[in-house]
Amino acid sequence: MKKRIMAMVMLGCMVLTATGCGSKSSAKTAKTAGTGAAVFNGKLESNVKIRVLENDTAISKGYFKELIDAFNEKYKDKGIEAVDANMDQYLDLANDGPYGYGPDVLYQANDVIMKYAEGKHILPLPVEELDCYDQIPETAWKAYQTKKEGKTYTCGVPVNVQAPQLYYRKDLLPKDWESKWDQDGDKVPDMVQTWKSMYAFSKERHKEDAKSYGYMKSLNDMYFSSGFLFSYGGYIFGKDNTDPSDIGFAEGNAEKGAWVLSQLASVMNEDCIDDTITTNAYSKLADGTYFATISTPDVYSTFLGELEKTYEAEGDTKDEAEKKAKDNLVMTTLPKLPESGSLTDQSDKTIDSKSMGGVNGYAISSYTKAPNACLEFVKFATDYKMIKKRAEMLGIAPAREDTAKKMGGTSSQIYENLDKGNIVLMPSITEVAQIWTPGKTFFVDLAKDVFRTDNKKKYKDEGAMKKGLKDMCDQIREAITTLQ
Amino acid sequence: MKSKGKQWKNFIQHSSLAVKLSMVIMGAGHLRYGAIAKGLIYLMMEVSMVCYFINRGWRDLKGFFTLGDQRTDAWAGIEGDNSIVMLIMGIFAWIVLAAFLYFYVQNIRGAYRMQKRREQGLPQITFRRELSSLLDQKFYVLVLALPVAGVCIFNVLPILFMILIAFTNYGGKVVPPELVDWVGVDNFKKLLVLSKFAPTFGRILSWNLLWAVLSTVLNYFAGLGLALLLNKECVKGKAFWRAFPILAYAIPGFITLLAFKFMFSYGGPINQLIVAHGGKAFGFLDLDARWSARLIGLLVNCWISVPSIMLLATGHLSNRDMTLYEAAKMDGAGRWKQFWKLTMPYMIFATTPVLLGQFIGNFNNFGIFYFLRGGLYMDGYFLASDTDLLINWLYNLSIDNNYYSIGAAISLIIFLITSTISLLVYVKSPSYREEDTFQ
Repeated sequence: MKKRIMAMVMLGCMVLTATGCGSKSSAKTAKTAGTGAAVFNGKLESNVKIRVLENDTAISKGYFKELIDAFNEKYKDKGIEAVDANMDQYLDLANDGPYGYGPDVLYQANDVIMKYAEGKHILPLPVEELDCYDQIPETAWKAYQTKKEGKTYTCGVPVNVQAPQLYYRKDLLPKDWESKWDQDGDKVPDMVQTWKSMYAFSKERHKEDAKSYGYMKSLNDMYFSSGFLFSYGGYIFGKDNTDPSDIGFAEGNAEKGAWVLSQLASVMNEDCIDDTITTNAYSKLADGTYFATISTPDVYSTFLGELEKTYEAEGDTKDEAEKKAKDNLVMTTLPKLPESGSLTDQSDKTIDSKSMGGVNGYAISSYTKAPNACLEFVKFATDYKMIKKRAEMLGIAPAREDTAKKMGGTSSQIYENLDKGNIVLMPSITEVAQIWTPGKTFFVDLAKDVFRTDNKKKYKDEGAMKKGLKDMCDQIREAITTLQ
Repeated sequence: MKSKGKQWKNFIQHSSLAVKLSMVIMGAGHLRYGAIAKGLIYLMMEVSMVCYFINRGWRDLKGFFTLGDQRTDAWAGIEGDNSIVMLIMGIFAWIVLAAFLYFYVQNIRGAYRMQKRREQGLPQITFRRELSSLLDQKFYVLVLALPVAGVCIFNVLPILFMILIAFTNYGGKVVPPELVDWVGVDNFKKLLVLSKFAPTFGRILSWNLLWAVLSTVLNYFAGLGLALLLNKECVKGKAFWRAFPILAYAIPGFITLLAFKFMFSYGGPINQLIVAHGGKAFGFLDLDARWSARLIGLLVNCWISVPSIMLLATGHLSNRDMTLYEAAKMDGAGRWKQFWKLTMPYMIFATTPVLLGQFIGNFNNFGIFYFLRGGLYMDGYFLASDTDLLINWLYNLSIDNNYYSIGAAISLIIFLITSTISLLVYVKSPSYREEDTFQ
């Protein structure tokens, strides 16, 4: 498959080179080995400044400084200098780039980068030249591929993977969990391994103390809730998320996912209808009201900080609190789902949980004056050493297999899930912008339904849920097509 | 019309060769009759205009009609046309052309006037005198020239641009580097005819009108009532009480709105109180909460707007002619009667323009429902919820979904509605009809 992609990219490049001949850039078309845009001719521009737009966290935690310092040191003799572009993360390359205001290299989520690819505002890259090419799984590369005039181009280099994780507190487990909540005897509590156990545990915890809950998460967030649909065969767009005429949230047995969500909502409270739980989760997990929730890996430090504060308030010293919080706060992959969709039936058959995710990575602006120097920077920033440093300093889950394996823990779990296809990457086509609000509306309605009186309930069975999902798909389709 | 034709005939028959030459070479007449400086200025104008048109003006005007025919391809290095820039530059070229035509006509008129003066044996007005008149009788021309030019570029141009966008297919997939095209009144037709749009448009418009009227009336009377209350002599510590609404006024609106959203959310203090007293949490702003959300919107808007009305009313109330009230009292008019017969007419007279401003502001009140209840699409509404106003729908369509042209069409309709209502109300109002009487 990789070979086929390579061949396609190379073919694309040849065509690009040919088209480039008739234009102003024809002087730059003398091409060495490699694919990507014609401008990547291997001749490093000298005495250039590359403006790099990095992620805010990477800047605030000092990683970016280390990266550009190391790069500038290495390329001092060649007259290439990388600097902070000093721009807002939510820039508009399409409008600023042509006038020389955009960055040369940008680090963004795949959906943002690919939005630019549609208007050719970023360059297709000769990715197989990069050290990381074989280390990054095909799914991650696919997130950066686009088809133009029938050919496939790769427009970004994956760096880190984002996917929802389950957060729970070990010290809130019942004392007898090893005898009661570890049926398979693998020393891992059942409730963080299967949603069925999580449901049973949540019910029990709430029954014992009306103020306490087990698993809590607002349903209104499409990013987290849609994973339940994907697990049972739902998808966003057809043909690997590239065909917006095929909207698949209701496909397969997606209604089972909606049913699981609605069963989970029944052991929460009304807070799951709006974003109350999402905003409260940090403090409520810390004060023990909630046992578990799901969120992205990048907020781990916020959960940790809140928990430390609670322990300190309970009388622990700062060091003790820090250690205790690190021991007790666990971030892990999502539990498995019941094949039947029922959280109460007797069957033990399970399926893997899928979730929506994203890949952040580097791209090069089409408007840069020094494309080859920029490519050199991207090569440097995505090599093993830098990605490892990035993972260590920022706690990200790398898209590179070697670094993920080396980091172990959640990083390698996320990598494995990505490799297995359990992380559904956000589509790279612009139509994806239309899925959020209809999706949110459906999930709010689904959550609300749990608390409606019986005669007002809309989603009484799986059929009704399927219909609700179909309506949501229709709404998305209308939003996409009505005005085209 | 006939007299115009006659004038024109007259002009052709009687104008001298030099004046006729001014029609081709600007400033020729002026030069012939001795107004060298002015003649040269006109000549310079023509030369620069020709240069501008050769360099880009002609291209800009043509671009205004074509909106580009070469697509940009950054990968292949093809620098193509940017339809939006072409549209803006096209409008600019039209403005320049209009200004030039104005000076062109002035040039011929001036030359003809000079010819007449010469024929009548009158001395010509010197350039110096004309300049000095700019500091005297024609001072307004001097003072207004720069602002008018500024208004044309920074105000008229963007407004024209927005209006013209409503007649293109700009938006959706058609954004640069794609080329934009003129589509005539298709966008308006879509709004009225397309089955998805028309019902939503009708529903939102009727709620929007109701909202604008209700919220304006509510804010106005609440503000006036508060001002009257705090104006009463029996109220102790007026400054202290007045400080509270001012505090509410001083907090940025969106912060207030987010605070209210939290207060009415499921986990917010109001629901906590309800649950603590054995009740069931109530979704004040959620999916099913059509009228409770609308009511909360009205009240929250009141909270935000009342202080400004109160301040305004306090100022006006202190200007009342109190002798009128004394006379009314002697004639046996009660407080209620005094309010309706004296206070109200006076306040309405003094504040109609502000009321209109409030009405327009409320009609286009984007923040309230965006912050309180954004991000929901309801059944029966196309990309909108049942509390959204036209301006929120406009936002959903144009910013969230990139349908700029449809957005522009809706804003034109909003403009038509609000300007018609405001004009009608204003022309009928005592502030306009009896401008001099109520001083």
